[in-house]
Amino acid sequence: MFVCLCTGATSHAVDEVVANGARTSRDITEACGAGGDCGRCRRTLRAIIEAHPEVTDCKSKNTDCKSKNIDCKSKSISR
Amino acid sequence: MGEDGLRSFILACDFQVDDVDRMWGWLQKHHDGLESIGAHHVAMYESIWEPRRVLVTIGIRQSRSIRDVLRSPAIFEWFDISGVDDIPPIFGGEVIEKIDFGPPSTQEHIGEIVMGAMSSVDDVAALMEKVHDGLERFKERGLRKIWVYRALDDGREVLILQEIGDELRARQWIEHPDAAAEWMTNSGLGAYPTRFVGRFAHLMSIGEQE
Repeated sequence: MFVCLCTGATSHAVDEVVANGARTSRDITEACGAGGDCGRCRRTLRAIIEAHPEVTDCKSKNTDCKSKNIDCKSKSISR
Repeated sequence: MGEDGLRSFILACDFQVDDVDRMWGWLQKHHDGLESIGAHHVAMYESIWEPRRVLVTIGIRQSRSIRDVLRSPAIFEWFDISGVDDIPPIFGGEVIEKIDFGPPSTQEHIGEIVMGAMSSVDDVAALMEKVHDGLERFKERGLRKIWVYRALDDGREVLILQEIGDELRARQWIEHPDAAAEWMTNSGLGAYPTRFVGRFAHLMSIGEQE
């Protein structure tokens, strides 16, 4: 799916960026440019973040993360 | 699958508009914008369960770059007139196969129930094998056609348009899809819209070749 019409960024590319640790639409813009022009795709970017398995796992284990003082956002994840 | 080179493809977009009739009326009056991006037809399906939700497909005759088409002013103007602030994801792909159980779709199919799914699958070739193995079952479940498109930007991403006899059968298909219909279980995640169920509302041809 093409998610950012301004840059031509695809959901596949954004997914890779999220897999590498992006956790906000701003993170994604910094990594691949998507959402940085007109900004009208940011809702989709957030939906991709929310749906990403690593983010879902992190949220479901949120209590553990906090108690163990693990910074999920900065954790670099590679596939 | 590469994206470069002169080729025909379709764009498909599932989104909610302010006013369906106004949006379609605008498209009918703005053939020049559609021609500028190489469009040869536009089809619109209107959701039967969600007011103002539409699925629109645009056939593009020949273009060197799908990205150039997507960033054209005509596309942004279309979303503006539709009352869309958040631009939805757009599927861009090529037809793999059109399986029609009856006569080929024509203008007569206006009003028919259509289910649309955009999804990622494990293996498109394997999926098509399963589809062919299940054709008789699909037919028994009321399906009249299955059109399969593969994304240009992601070889595992598909758009499936299925025409089915009536709303009841559509509901049954959604609640209990055939095991071969892998696309029915994966839609609605991330950039993918939830499964679309609607009626074929309008078809418009553009340009001299139609």
